[in-house]
Amino acid sequence: MSEQAHGEQEHGSSIADHLEYWIYKVDESNPFMQIHVDTMIVTLTIASLMIGFAIWLRGKIVAGAPTGAQNFVESVVDFINTTVKDNFPVHNPIVAPLAFTIFVFILLCNTIDILPAYLLGHIAHAFGAPAFRPVPTNDLNLPAAMGVSVFILVLYYEFKLKPIHFMQDLIMQPFTNLVPWYLKPVIMPINLVLKLVEEVAKPLSLSFRLFGNMFAGEVIFLLIASLLLVGTVDELLTVGGVITEAIAILVGLAWSLFHMFIGLLQAFIFMILTVVYLSIAHQPVEH
Amino acid sequence: MSLDLTFIGQIVVFLTMVILLTKLLYTPLNDAMAARTQRIADGLAAAEAGKNAQADAEAEAKVQIEKAKQTAQEIVAAAERRALAVSEESIAKARHDSEMIVQSAREEAEAEAGRLRQTLRQEVATLAVMAAEKIVEAELDAKKHAALIEKVIADGVAA
Repeated sequence: MSEQAHGEQEHGSSIADHLEYWIYKVDESNPFMQIHVDTMIVTLTIASLMIGFAIWLRGKIVAGAPTGAQNFVESVVDFINTTVKDNFPVHNPIVAPLAFTIFVFILLCNTIDILPAYLLGHIAHAFGAPAFRPVPTNDLNLPAAMGVSVFILVLYYEFKLKPIHFMQDLIMQPFTNLVPWYLKPVIMPINLVLKLVEEVAKPLSLSFRLFGNMFAGEVIFLLIASLLLVGTVDELLTVGGVITEAIAILVGLAWSLFHMFIGLLQAFIFMILTVVYLSIAHQPVEH
Repeated sequence: MSLDLTFIGQIVVFLTMVILLTKLLYTPLNDAMAARTQRIADGLAAAEAGKNAQADAEAEAKVQIEKAKQTAQEIVAAAERRALAVSEESIAKARHDSEMIVQSAREEAEAEAGRLRQTLRQEVATLAVMAAEKIVEAELDAKKHAALIEKVIADGVAA
């Protein structure tokens, strides 16, 4: 739609253009069979950097007094461990490293938003790419992938630890005890539907919360830029142009700081909700 | 904004990262931290034990010092008593010795005096005899004393 509205302008001048991905279509007819090259490049880079950092740090880990990078990572690990310990009824060795990975990975992805919104797109244009969205958490695919992974893990533990209780919950909650016995078969499908909605809401809310926050932040960056920047190069040196640029820098800086805080907060929320969902799956059955 | 193959790719990336970071970063770090916690706990326990041992040793030392003090006092008291006894003894002995010396000196002096008196007496007698001889030589006059001599001789013969 934005293409029609700004059809006359050249590419890269409207906000919607900056929300395009660098898409490689595997199969033209099927909208699922395409891949976001920019998201993949950035996440693979971050993942390689993290793994490289892990390999580099692994050789210098000491049990004595830690220094430098080890000290910093240890404070993060300690923070995650405390969070997991506070929320978890039993010990599960998978949860803490999972939460650690989620937190650090999302935080790094969100932090890429500190780069100027238009800059990477223009650089990518210079190299011939159609578009470039640097922040992978802006792409629904990444939050959804993590949310669904966590959800599958939750389901796995629900079935593994208390299969009968979980199946019972699916059809017996929440209404069964409120109706007379002859209505119970009628109420069961309704329960099932409600319970399914409740369960599916978990990965949906998990991924859309992160995606929505980061996407909105990106849009606001683009709005600040497009509303305050002057129209042509000549106007840059006029009095009004200079004032506009100053305001744009100040507002952009303020929003950058706030958005970095949101990125940290969203990483923390995603991490802690993962821990909470998994801890619910680990809760012992109440009789 | 729709899900596509990127979704699958992200799941793969995410799970790979979870596994690799768990193996490469989290587990070794966590082990190191646990080892450090253990070491700190051990160190604190050792410090506590050391403190207790020190307190025990100090109490023991106090007892020993008290005992040593008592022993020293006893030794000093005994030495003082002994010294007193020794000095009294030596004073008595010295007094006795001096009395002995004085006495022997006195006896010796008396003996000497006796001897001198004896000698003096002999010399006086000799001197008297010599004087007498002189007088006798000077005064002796056969005529004058012939009668006396004769009388003595006569007395002597008569006796």
